[in-house]
Amino acid sequence: MLLLQFFVSGVATGCFLILATIGFSLTRRVEGFLNIAHAELLGVSAFTTWWLNSHHGWHVLAAAVAAIAFTALVGLGIARVVYDPIRHRGPAVLLITSTGVAFVIGGALHGLIGTGIRTLDIGLANRYEAFGLRVTSHQLIVVGLAAAVSVSLALFLNRTRTGLAIRAMAVNPELAASRGVNLSATSRATWLLSSGLAGLAGVMLAVLATLTTDLAFAQILQILAVAILAGLGSLYAVILSGLLVGVAMDVSAYWIPAGYRPLVAFAVVIVVLLFRPAGLAGTRAA
Amino acid sequence: MNWPQLLVTVLTLGSIFGVVTLSLNLQYARGGMINFGIVAYFAVGAYTYAIFTQPPPQGLDQYKFGFGWPWWTAVIVAGLAALVFAAVTGWPTLRLRGEYLALTTFAFAEVFHSLLLNERRIGNGTVGLARVERPFGDWGPIEEKYVFAGAAALLLVATLLVFRRLLVSPYGRALDAIRDDETAALAAGKPAQKMRRQVFLISAVPVGFAGAVYAMFTTLAQPSLFTAEVTFIVWIALVLGGERSVYGVVLGTAGLVFFEEIVRAWPFETVRSAQIAASVEHVVTGLVFIAVLRYQPFQAAATRLKVSK
Repeated sequence: MLLLQFFVSGVATGCFLILATIGFSLTRRVEGFLNIAHAELLGVSAFTTWWLNSHHGWHVLAAAVAAIAFTALVGLGIARVVYDPIRHRGPAVLLITSTGVAFVIGGALHGLIGTGIRTLDIGLANRYEAFGLRVTSHQLIVVGLAAAVSVSLALFLNRTRTGLAIRAMAVNPELAASRGVNLSATSRATWLLSSGLAGLAGVMLAVLATLTTDLAFAQILQILAVAILAGLGSLYAVILSGLLVGVAMDVSAYWIPAGYRPLVAFAVVIVVLLFRPAGLAGTRAA
Repeated sequence: MNWPQLLVTVLTLGSIFGVVTLSLNLQYARGGMINFGIVAYFAVGAYTYAIFTQPPPQGLDQYKFGFGWPWWTAVIVAGLAALVFAAVTGWPTLRLRGEYLALTTFAFAEVFHSLLLNERRIGNGTVGLARVERPFGDWGPIEEKYVFAGAAALLLVATLLVFRRLLVSPYGRALDAIRDDETAALAAGKPAQKMRRQVFLISAVPVGFAGAVYAMFTTLAQPSLFTAEVTFIVWIALVLGGERSVYGVVLGTAGLVFFEEIVRAWPFETVRSAQIAASVEHVVTGLVFIAVLRYQPFQAAATRLKVSK
């Protein structure tokens, strides 16, 4: 029974990981590099929500919307100022630069917020019981959001003009441009979307966890684990691999101490990479 | 501010981290491998040295092994341990290239870190191993810190010489050929995959030595000293000095360590201002990193030198 309970909380963890990773994978797919600073954007959003909510007494929903919008703009701004001028130097330089960006954001958060733990000004989660298993309302929100985001992202990428442009640009930018896709507008839309998703995940982080300024950096490890497992840049496999990593981490707590959770995440990744060197969705040719 | 003390510290730490940066430079600039988990090899060296020199566990100690060997055998073992660790981690990861390699090495370092943190039988978990043996206790009139700075500088110079010798040899030219055009090098009969693996193993050894010296210097082997931040700092130093330039790499490391030590040695009035200074240090480090990668001033200078010759 306890094992099943761990499984349930693992699903919720997995859904959070899906939210946190999907923007990261979108960046990788369209912009072609690994944005280590993505996790720090979660922190930006989480602390903006907290600041508006507990310092200025905003309702948590209003604070969340404002934080997501703010994070999306911050992400776009960083992309324009930092990443665009060095794009021609290739993905390795962009990857290393993004760790510099992570340093800057992390340091700024530390300086502005300071140490100590913080929580949002929201009530405790309601608990529900069914078949002897407990879930909290916060967990249900995460699961619901992950499902909604996955479905609407799929619809967006397949049905709308901008979504199709994003996919075209991901596959072949020159060809897309020659067919009339506005590359800079599409890149802008991608950054807004992926940073906005980081913002949403950051709000969830603020709801689920007590906030410390190094919390955001800790997320990058799990994001990386999920993204590698899915195969870098694939979006639908993120859903599967997010759930897999989340459940593996939480269920492992049944046998081994909870301190080993990140270790379990990477153990799963290493095992999968040994058999499928390009991740779950990857093809050998890539 | 105590300038002589500061300079000695910069010389010692700069030399220790300089060795790590040099090895990373060999892996990245020559071998084309992005190792984002270099801190793990450093930590292996430090912990191995601590474990092999410390007395057997007693009282409240939770660690299982303490051999009490003399310091110089422990240093050698530290280098060997880093080599073995490189062989173990290199086996699954070196088949991967580019960013996949960067991520898996990063992952290995994090796994190793969490192992040190959680497995108390290795090195007391979070508490770490304190009072690591310092070998040069009695050196007559010269103060211990100067002996240390000298030893660290010696290690740096030795690494520098060995690497330089390696890189000007036919072996080094074959490495360059593989990096520049792997297909052509393969066609010329150079075993690219095998040589990359060799470079990965060779460059791990000095990192292990540096870890041992670091453990002596801090007299501490603790998980909090070996976080991903060390990896980033070393990478920043590498980029700062300009990849492929051996002296630039050493200077870059020294500059970065100097900057950090100044921030650390500054007399702050309140805890809050020290906190802000620490975060400003982070922000500035990150900004320097971004600016150097974007404008590449050192590479530009190097090209200008070559043109004018």
